[in-house]
Amino acid sequence: MIPVSVNVLFKNAQPGRPATFDEYCRGGGYQALSEAIHKLAPKEVIRKVKDSGLRGRGGAGFPAGLKWAGIPEKARFPRYVIANTDEMEPGTFKDRVLVNTDPHMVIEGTLLAAYAVSAQKGVFFIRPSYETDAELLERELQVARAAGYLGKNILRSDFSFDLVVHRSGGRYICGEATAQVNAIMGNRPHPIKGGPHMAEQGLWNRPTLVNNVETLACVPHILHHGPEWFKALAKTGTGAGTKLYGVSGKVHQPGCYELPMGTRLGEIIEEAAGGMVRGSEFKAALPGGASTAFMPKQYYDIEMDFEALKKAGHRLGTGSIVVFDRQTCLVAATLNMMEFFVRESCGLCTPCREGLPFIRDLLWRVEHGEGEEGFIPMLREMSAHMRHAYCAFAPGAAEPVEGLLLYFEDELREHISQRKCPFGEHGTDHAEAHH
Amino acid sequence: MIPEELRKELEARIKEADHPRECAVDAMYALQKHYGYLSDEAVQEAAGLLGMTSLEVDELATFYDFIYREPVGKYVIHACDGVVCWMFGEKSVLHYLCKKLKVVVGETTPDGLFTVLPTVCIGYCDHAPAVLVNGQFYGSLNPERIDAMIEDLKRAQSPLVADR
Amino acid sequence: MPKLIIDSREIEVPAGTKVIDAAERLGIMIPRFCYHPALGSLGACRMCAVKFEEGPLKGLDMSCMVEAKEGMVVSTTDQEAVDFRKYVIEWLMLNHPHDCPVCDEGGHCLLQDETVSGDHGIRRYRGKKRTYEDQDLGPFVQHEMNRCIHCWRCRRLYQDFSGYRDLGAMQISNRTFFGRFSSGALESPFSGNLIDVCPTGVFTDKPARYKGRRWDFERAPSLCLHCSLGCNITGSARYREVVRVEARLHPDVNGYFICDRGRFGFAYANHPERPRRARIKGKEVSWEEAIRHTAGKLREIRDRAGKSAIACLGSCRSSLETQVWLARFCEILALSDPRFFLDEDMEHRVKKAVAKLDGRVAISMREIEDSDFILSMGVDPVHEAPMLALAMRQAFRKGATISILDPRPVSLPFEFDHVPVPVAEMDLCLNAIMKASLSAVMLEDMSQEARYFYREMVERNAGPTPFQERATTLGQKLRESQRPVIVCGTDMVDLNMPSLAGNHALLLWSAKKKAGLFYVLPGPNAFGAALVSPNRESEPILDMIEKGEIRALVVVEADPFGMAMNRERWTKALETLELLVVLDYLPSRSIGEAHVVFPTRTVFETSGSSYINQEGRIQFSSPLHQGGSPVSQVSKGSHPPRNHLEQIPGGESRGAAEILAELASAIAGKEIKTEVENLWAWLATNAPAFEELSESFSRGEGLRLVPEKQPIKDFSDALPREKDRRGKEQMELLLVEQTFGTEELSIYSRFTRDAEKPPWLTMNTRDADRLGLTHGDRVSLQVNGGTLEVRLQVVETVAPGVMVLPRHHGIPWQVFEAPRVSVPIERIKRLP
Repeated sequence: MIPVSVNVLFKNAQPGRPATFDEYCRGGGYQALSEAIHKLAPKEVIRKVKDSGLRGRGGAGFPAGLKWAGIPEKARFPRYVIANTDEMEPGTFKDRVLVNTDPHMVIEGTLLAAYAVSAQKGVFFIRPSYETDAELLERELQVARAAGYLGKNILRSDFSFDLVVHRSGGRYICGEATAQVNAIMGNRPHPIKGGPHMAEQGLWNRPTLVNNVETLACVPHILHHGPEWFKALAKTGTGAGTKLYGVSGKVHQPGCYELPMGTRLGEIIEEAAGGMVRGSEFKAALPGGASTAFMPKQYYDIEMDFEALKKAGHRLGTGSIVVFDRQTCLVAATLNMMEFFVRESCGLCTPCREGLPFIRDLLWRVEHGEGEEGFIPMLREMSAHMRHAYCAFAPGAAEPVEGLLLYFEDELREHISQRKCPFGEHGTDHAEAHH
Repeated sequence: MIPEELRKELEARIKEADHPRECAVDAMYALQKHYGYLSDEAVQEAAGLLGMTSLEVDELATFYDFIYREPVGKYVIHACDGVVCWMFGEKSVLHYLCKKLKVVVGETTPDGLFTVLPTVCIGYCDHAPAVLVNGQFYGSLNPERIDAMIEDLKRAQSPLVADR
Repeated sequence: MPKLIIDSREIEVPAGTKVIDAAERLGIMIPRFCYHPALGSLGACRMCAVKFEEGPLKGLDMSCMVEAKEGMVVSTTDQEAVDFRKYVIEWLMLNHPHDCPVCDEGGHCLLQDETVSGDHGIRRYRGKKRTYEDQDLGPFVQHEMNRCIHCWRCRRLYQDFSGYRDLGAMQISNRTFFGRFSSGALESPFSGNLIDVCPTGVFTDKPARYKGRRWDFERAPSLCLHCSLGCNITGSARYREVVRVEARLHPDVNGYFICDRGRFGFAYANHPERPRRARIKGKEVSWEEAIRHTAGKLREIRDRAGKSAIACLGSCRSSLETQVWLARFCEILALSDPRFFLDEDMEHRVKKAVAKLDGRVAISMREIEDSDFILSMGVDPVHEAPMLALAMRQAFRKGATISILDPRPVSLPFEFDHVPVPVAEMDLCLNAIMKASLSAVMLEDMSQEARYFYREMVERNAGPTPFQERATTLGQKLRESQRPVIVCGTDMVDLNMPSLAGNHALLLWSAKKKAGLFYVLPGPNAFGAALVSPNRESEPILDMIEKGEIRALVVVEADPFGMAMNRERWTKALETLELLVVLDYLPSRSIGEAHVVFPTRTVFETSGSSYINQEGRIQFSSPLHQGGSPVSQVSKGSHPPRNHLEQIPGGESRGAAEILAELASAIAGKEIKTEVENLWAWLATNAPAFEELSESFSRGEGLRLVPEKQPIKDFSDALPREKDRRGKEQMELLLVEQTFGTEELSIYSRFTRDAEKPPWLTMNTRDADRLGLTHGDRVSLQVNGGTLEVRLQVVETVAPGVMVLPRHHGIPWQVFEAPRVSVPIERIKRLP
């Protein structure tokens, strides 16, 4: 009988405080680094990560080993590793929990990535609301430095690498890799597409690797126990490792739960998060935060894994599950999410900057009893066109709308025909106040 | 004018960096802390320290949510309006805060202590509804807890998080 | 060269061409906003979406971001692409105000055009439109942000392309605001290009505001005459008033842009005090009387005092036709040859420069953008020939090294090496750089003449100079370069520099088989003046007047009494002259002092105008309107006169060439014609370069009038260096050009007046300390000709021992004897 929870990333978890450096080391920490530096060539580290099947946990799900291998051996120096701790996807809080649980695991993961691509400098890019975690990281980086795990000639080898914390001014788009690079360089953080690839010209025009902190935290375990072990942790054949499923919404115990990749949605909700809040019935869930589509009851047993969701026409994203009950209006929920995207749009391209406010306006009218039949094809068309925006922001913004249209068109029509929201009041709408 | 100490500290930090512009956001945070918000004068100071023009600094300052280009109170209460907090917001947190502090969104209380602003999902979804006050989370809010939070802040009267 | 199919039509294009440009070659204008050929592709507006049906790319994508590749099949009419583009334009119009009726852009507005192309009509969005508060951006550019569709062109033009840092994007999302940190005049002297690139009416031409609609204007292709670069412009006129100037594309000269001096300096043509009628001793007379009087007097003086008693003075701002006609005038009447320069030294330098340009080294401004090393001698680009600074910047953006040898505090919108070397030592520094750049191996392969020149002139005179180390470093960089360019001025350089620079360019060409030579000349047709004026040295004209050898002066479109140095002597000379005839369109001092005035036409009113720019390119301009006083000046704001006139008010002005022909006819007693064929035939006898033109004359673009190879033997014109004449207790004063306030035509334009900065005297910190002066002091400079009071500016970047003062029309800079004078330091006093 496979235990419901698996402690890999959370193995050193302490109640109410982060694990210390000593606790991390006692749990086997920094051994993977030591082995890698002394016994493995960078190429071999990459090989192991490739074989493990590790996929990025920041939302895109890109195979990590493949990304690391993308930096050519002959690429220029210095090279950079960015540990993406921006985590601004609504509904997502797993990285905060991870960093707060075991900062050194994240540090070691970043070090291993740096070793693998022969980088010299690294950056923790962190959002303003995680200020306490920024300070935590700064303190623990000092500890790691003092212990000889950062700086020049780490563990008396040729490998030198240092990490700093870079604070963001606070915008969702900063989570996008090219925008994040711009942000670090002190430019307006717009994404840059169609230019030279990050692997060769990223931060300060040099080879740069950007990975989510959860992804990086997996790496010490892959090296310590081996890629096959990591792969076997998953419940599905296509998955690998464990996943931090952040569950929030109308569940009994919202929180961040480490479970084998591919655990079924229903299991996560009932076994880990204690089931629906008393009196509530499951209506739909977002699998990965606001830029994914609603999954209604028919997907209750779906395996929460990249491939399984893709096959079903959905996206795992960050694996941050937001649970809605039957008393919650999904039109209003979508409207709320559109407000988010409209506010956070960087403003570079037309579909995102102007199209999303149009969608938001139509949804607002539907929710407030001013909806019309003719809005539905417009919503459908505009959401579909978001695919052709400049970066992945707008397509993500369109996903909840597409989900709404695909699975809950009836709810939309009810609003329109009843000329009001059938679910009643949803709190004061402050949206107008700051627009 | 900024005190000599602060100037020296910032100059040293900027000199250390490979590229001065890297420190733009940090310099803005530091000046914001000194002036209370990032005023026009603060923008010009930042420009001088970083070797940028005031326009270039303002291009950054006005992009970000946590750089305040208008006066704010000692405590900026950022009420999260992410989808999860929204779901738990029947007693709308923002509405209650404004009512209790007798301000509208964006306004500062007459005693200069509190400004109420919305913000996007702060990442505290397992404790919805939540707010962020000067880098500190307050979650699972209801009117009582909000009242308690306000009282605590009034009593403490010092920034919660050491440095930004 | 990839072949691709667009809308069922095949085309072959050079590798690297974007699909949007490939389509344009087929005459298919794919809708676009953010894409601009000079600014490059961004991919932000999403307007240029097309469907890629076959080939390496499939699906909907942006044609400005995709390079044309072999085998591509593209459809612009595919339904998905059409639907998408329709939404894009609908989205862009969401916040757009209903301003068309009151917006100047209407009629030449890209947003209007693309709204039609995107088939957007009925407004479906019912939300509120976001609005902005506008800023006052100065006298040139109007700001109306509500119209913005966020195409990002302005920021890319202003920052990326031009390198200026006071305009950008603030805020985020659909609140993004393009403007300055706070209201205030834009700092860039190229800010007017915002007007051209903005696809809506956010940035519009302030001086031309509300003057009329595009279709109301008489428009024609013309040329900018405000420096020697020869940028192409399109002028607009309405009711006989020149209303607006826009940049006109020339891929080899100015590209898509022009500078603000060229854009707003045109209003001299509308000056209310412009001479419009013939005058004798200040009184308006009939044309016939003026001709009769002048012909009579000239004939009488010639018969009495000899043909050399009449001197003719033209200028570098006249058209080639006018210059040639002045030469013919002298020839027909057997007078001494005309002069075209007020300053004989300047004449010498310009002629030397023109002689050094040949097919091996002459380059266009466009080719400067491709250079990897630019060495500039005695040029301050932003002040003398602003578009040159932009061209240099594009080279910088591609990684070029640019070094400026100049005593002035040169400022450029990119990083460059400034070597603040005094004029007299510029050659030492140049030689030192060249010495460090040429290896023994390179020299071995050169001709004997080249090696001789190198040994005798370069090596011997390569220092010592306080800039030795920098010269060596620059030399090493020059050695590695593959496309070096030497830029050389003719204003703040000594007599030998143009030849020296030309010889150095030849040396580089011998070593690398690719080198460029680019001169900055003192006027839009200085090149023509050099070709038309004879090849002999003449005695300074002022000396001859003072000695009584010249009794009559015929001045054609020049202003010796206003713009020449030695003002006191010129003023005295007025008293000795028996006859001063001035032909001009400017209300200049010379016109004011003239005994006889003949009003001429500006370039905007003259048919058949050609000008030769600094690289020898002959270009043609067409008239905008038929001439005459602007209606607004005739009616002084009220309705134009209701009585019909036979003549256009103020319409007596004629082309200078015509007037000279008329005068010549009157004096010679027979009719002289002014046809163009005669013109070119006559030119061909004087300048071999024109032979080619005379044989296949057509009004095509830019024939370059330089020989394939210089007629004189390479390096044979090298001269021994001049010694520095400056004494120890003396400062060298340089009287220099500035972007606004010094150039002869634009100082009469009320629009560029608003951009002028008050003139400051600039000196080095150390010199100021030595003289006991501080920044901001008011100082007086005393010279033989008079005193000048001015405010002092102290900067680091001026050469030691040098003071810089602009030839600003607001100060009497003409009191000095020459553009470079020595001033004893006791004559520099601080005023209380």
